[in-house]
Amino acid sequence: MPVSAGPVSAVLVRPLARTLPWRMIAAAGTLGLLLAATPRLAGEGANAWLAVTSLRASAVAFALGAAFLLDDPARNTTAAVPTRRVVRHGLRLALMAPVAALWWTGALLLVPRELRPPAAGITVEAAAVLVLALTGAAFAIHRGDGARPGQAVAGFLLASAVLGPLLSPGSWALFVTPDDPRWAAAHDRWALLLCAVLAAGALCAAEPVRRFRLRRLMSPSGTSDPSRA
Amino acid sequence: MTPTVSASGLSLHYGGTRALDDVSLRLSGGVTGLLGPNGAGKTTLLRVLATAVPADRGAFTVLGHDPGTSRGRQEVRRHLGYLPQTPGFHPDFTAFEFVDYVAILKELTDRTARHREVRRVLDEVGLADVRGKRIKKLSGGMRQRVALAAALVGDPEFVVLDEPTVGLDPEQRMRFRELVAQAGEGRTVLLSTHQTEDVAMLCNRVVVLADGTVRFDGTPGELTAQAAGRVWSSEERDPGAKAGWRTGAGTFRNVGDPPAGAELLEPTLEDGYLLTLDGAGAEVTA
Repeated sequence: MPVSAGPVSAVLVRPLARTLPWRMIAAAGTLGLLLAATPRLAGEGANAWLAVTSLRASAVAFALGAAFLLDDPARNTTAAVPTRRVVRHGLRLALMAPVAALWWTGALLLVPRELRPPAAGITVEAAAVLVLALTGAAFAIHRGDGARPGQAVAGFLLASAVLGPLLSPGSWALFVTPDDPRWAAAHDRWALLLCAVLAAGALCAAEPVRRFRLRRLMSPSGTSDPSRA
Repeated sequence: MTPTVSASGLSLHYGGTRALDDVSLRLSGGVTGLLGPNGAGKTTLLRVLATAVPADRGAFTVLGHDPGTSRGRQEVRRHLGYLPQTPGFHPDFTAFEFVDYVAILKELTDRTARHREVRRVLDEVGLADVRGKRIKKLSGGMRQRVALAAALVGDPEFVVLDEPTVGLDPEQRMRFRELVAQAGEGRTVLLSTHQTEDVAMLCNRVVVLADGTVRFDGTPGELTAQAAGRVWSSEERDPGAKAGWRTGAGTFRNVGDPPAGAELLEPTLEDGYLLTLDGAGAEVTA
């Protein structure tokens, strides 16, 4: 029986903040900032391609750390608490969001102004990669309920980051430089990708109350409860 | 009396593996032991009843609430305590902080009342002296008690304990049995275990699960009675026995259908359990 029914989220923020993988995020963020600083370190040898590529690599590095955001060693111990998973995951995201925004601003500012790609476009790319990492983690928990999906998701993300530019159809032109006339169209596609991944993430956020819904619908005897049939 | 838990036709498959097959149960107050060999479906059944995983088929209610809907499941969880088979922790939290964290997740938001409840439950499991110690510095037995405290915080009416005595030394096991017996006073406790001693000492009811199905549901005395006249001693292993093992005295204890003139022995709960399994991985030869 609940002792009182106050807003759980407000009380939960502090202990939940302690459970976040800050070290992993800090390590990934540091690596990301180093990558973002590459054009500045390269000096006169730097160009627009290096700047945009280093920012893309920087975004992937940070996303690799963020893939661990939903890792929770106590997940099985807290598997049957009334506070919904969507609230717990939402709070984790809310705690990380300002850190991510601040970090990305820093990464952008590290790139020399004359080489810096348009902020809006490259930010959409970075957001898509970050959301892909978080959706991957949410999906892993949704499907497998594992305590620590971060490592597998980071591996998948890294493989996608390497293979994506090689395997994505040339007509998508996702990885173009700012001087390419397809830059604007490419970022329409990035925005679309971001929305799709966000939608998938939202679907994975809720804890399932049923399994094999599709099979249920197809099987005349596959009802959960005769009274509901 | 209205049962705390009423389940009918619960089934669950993992890929091609049938973990639960048409399990029906009704649980009321006291401690019910869930016995079964490895892979019998005990943990799966407990996870389903604890709402940690949904079943493929079947329905159940806890205190009249149906976890088949999001709202119903949340209501069930407000009355539920769950200790999983391998409880996980945030190792940098102290015992108090961890149980307090679980208490918040159980919607105990009033700080003063919550802290009082956390202290009460840590006292109950005998961890009052180490409540300020980090979990990573606690022994395995103490961690298990932290997990039990987390399950009991908020005074749930239905408590699910998945093999809580695994990995504990005999003294810790005795201590844990006392705690579970206490927890069973005024509550419904479902306790999964491999150990028939746990059931004999703690439970007023026992359910035997094998291959995902219920093989027996009754009192420990009734399970023991299943073996009456079916346990005998012999100098050599009896090939006709369903299970047999060498005892400390050097003779063999056999269960099954005894040969004529066999020296019958007083049955134990374990004998009844082995006979109930019959053909479900119960072959014991030592």
